[in-house]
Amino acid sequence: MAERYNTTSMPSISTTTVEALSLPVGAEAAGAIADLHDEPDWMREARLDAWATYAAMEFPRKDEEAWRRTELSRYPLDDMRVVFSGTELNGIENLPPCWNYTLAPANLVSGVLVHCNGARTHATMRPEIADQGVVFADLHRALRTHGDLIRRYWMKGTTTRPDFNKFTALNAALWHGGTFIHVPAGVNIARPFQSLISYDADGGTGLHHTLVVAEAGSRVTLIQDRVSQDLRSAVNAEIVEIYAEAGARVRYISLQHWGHHRYSVSVQEAQVAQNANMVWVTGSMGGGMTKEFLRTNLNATQARSTMAGFSFPYDHQHVDQSTYQHHKAPNTYSDLLFRNVLRDRAQTVFYGMIRIETEAGGGTEGYQENNNLLLDDARARAIPGLEIIANDVRCGHGATVSRIDPEELFYLQARGLPRPDAESLIVQGFIRPIIERVPLAHMRDRLEEEIAERFWR
Amino acid sequence: MALEIRDLHVAVDGKEILKGVSLNVERGSTHALMGPNGSGKSTLSYTLMGHPKYLITQGDALIDGVSLLEMTPDQRARAGLFLAMQYPVAISGVSLYSFLHAATSAVRGFGDRSARPARGRFNAHLMPMREFRKEVNGKLDLLEMDPVFLRRYLNEGFSGGEKKRAEILQMALLKPKFSVLDETDSGLDIDALRIVSKGINALQDELNMGLLVITHYQRILNYIHPDVVHIFVDGRVVKTGDAKLAEILEEQGYEWVRQELALGD
Ligand SMILES: Nc1ncnc2c1ncn2[C@@H]1O[C@H](COP(=O)(O)OP(=O)(O)O)[C@@H](O)[C@H]1O
Ligand SMILES: [Mg+2]
Repeated sequence: MAERYNTTSMPSISTTTVEALSLPVGAEAAGAIADLHDEPDWMREARLDAWATYAAMEFPRKDEEAWRRTELSRYPLDDMRVVFSGTELNGIENLPPCWNYTLAPANLVSGVLVHCNGARTHATMRPEIADQGVVFADLHRALRTHGDLIRRYWMKGTTTRPDFNKFTALNAALWHGGTFIHVPAGVNIARPFQSLISYDADGGTGLHHTLVVAEAGSRVTLIQDRVSQDLRSAVNAEIVEIYAEAGARVRYISLQHWGHHRYSVSVQEAQVAQNANMVWVTGSMGGGMTKEFLRTNLNATQARSTMAGFSFPYDHQHVDQSTYQHHKAPNTYSDLLFRNVLRDRAQTVFYGMIRIETEAGGGTEGYQENNNLLLDDARARAIPGLEIIANDVRCGHGATVSRIDPEELFYLQARGLPRPDAESLIVQGFIRPIIERVPLAHMRDRLEEEIAERFWR
Repeated sequence: MALEIRDLHVAVDGKEILKGVSLNVERGSTHALMGPNGSGKSTLSYTLMGHPKYLITQGDALIDGVSLLEMTPDQRARAGLFLAMQYPVAISGVSLYSFLHAATSAVRGFGDRSARPARGRFNAHLMPMREFRKEVNGKLDLLEMDPVFLRRYLNEGFSGGEKKRAEILQMALLKPKFSVLDETDSGLDIDALRIVSKGINALQDELNMGLLVITHYQRILNYIHPDVVHIFVDGRVVKTGDAKLAEILEEQGYEWVRQELALGD
């Protein structure tokens, strides 16, 4: 059984064969990464273009709607460095035990990919899945084998594009460490893929890039988790791009266990084609401040998406989620359920938007609900929004903020449960509709255990 | 070995509801407390269990000689007191099974999460799953309950009768020394009442439990035979007798008690 991980006595990742480079963010770093991985010319150019975009852009201002409630001034923006390892790390057994712990048993998954400080440290895939032409690989390596495919999809989203904001430009220019999945048409992968993005105390700025392409009629699940051990403040500027082509079914479970010194901006977008189904589950447990843009574009008829999310910030943690359900075609369906539990002086912001275009009229449905459960002096803000330009649609949205019901607490205590256990059980019940959607009992149990631990700190 | 209530005075929102209640329920004995609606029966049961809303202005309540008053509700439960509530609370997202597992473990001393190693397996500190499951199945049989119940969320969408059965199922697993049954009979049809009563009697024999059966009908007392019957009006025990008292009350109604008392003054 894994031991609790102790910050002060942390063993560093084995670096015997590793040449670690550390450069300030800039065009030089962009070139160095491209050189190191012998990237195709188009990627090198894309990096340099993106750096030019970055240099020409301002950081978001406080009066922009998306940044009104999250103090960007607390992000260590002057202290961003590109740190990466020149060679592959020694392997998974060198990761601190608490990082290992986030991985499900190997027999339950289709493959595992672990990154530490932007370098691939561990990669496995079941041979019978590889035999079907499936790629589950570090994005740098995949560029060599599937460069043209990647290029067709690269950063063409509404938000997942270099000029969406300064953070996406930064990622486009300097991404290193990436997760790539390609599932050929009609291939059905039952067991999830698992990806772990990690940074240790030498980790620098997080610039991971994930691209998932599920071809027509295929089926795939990705569980992606994030951990860090930062001794000082660090930025994470991350991008996730998902393509569910016609009739594909994609499940993306995005978990976040950043250390409390990590200040994150994560931009994630799914493009859902005709008759395709996109299922998101997103969970935020860590981070100093976390800003997420989560967007689903329903591009063709019968496209469906369900987005579920939970967060449980405590102490002074801050979680800000902007969600967008964009209906561009008739007979599309989306729903969203996000639940937050807040302790101490934590804060959450939920800014949700459903937009239904004129041409999406006729049988389209969009729903959105955000529920917040407050303990202590925490503060939750919810700003749901609807933009409906179409006729013949069904929509609904709602937001609630509540506290633990003292009658529920009394009932559980009257059955012998000490107050922290009683609170924990109520909170677990509150988040259950989200946790239920996480695949693998191992993952669900681990999340529940983690939630319970927050009541015995 | 008794649940003792000594001259208990209780106020809610500044209004005195219990006006000096004294009872002595020995282990193994059954007391019935009968009174009209609004007389303060539930106030008594909640107060014994430690609901924070009720303010004790005078008196004491003890279990085996130890005062309950300084204890939190969970400490009272672990000391051997159980309350089958008149209106059980629903808790969404928490399955009856996981709740029972947590509660049973807590009462039997397994539940100390703070004392176990960090980052253990989920619920590793609880009572071993197999042992618990076996015991639950036995109690479900006793109360003629369908095991699918266990997967439902605690009291959520339960009918009145299902809630009452679930209360007694909890009692069966928590194995208290003393139980207060607050109108457990209401919401149960006659068949269910017979099954639940049979279960309660079996548990009383097994645990040598002291029972305080609160009701405003005599019906349940046909199945659970009281040693002592108290009539409770306006925050006080106004008359105490044997089982016959319940029958007289059933025939004559509470008006009779009021008249008796007026005559007696
Ligand atoms: N929260 C409360 N605030 C004020 N009065 C209350 C409250 N709860 C109960 N009461 C009053 O206390 C009295 C006793 O109620 P209760 O104990 O529920 O009676 P019973 O169980 O015998 O029907 C009633 O008059 C009721 O109105
Ligand atoms: Mg009552």
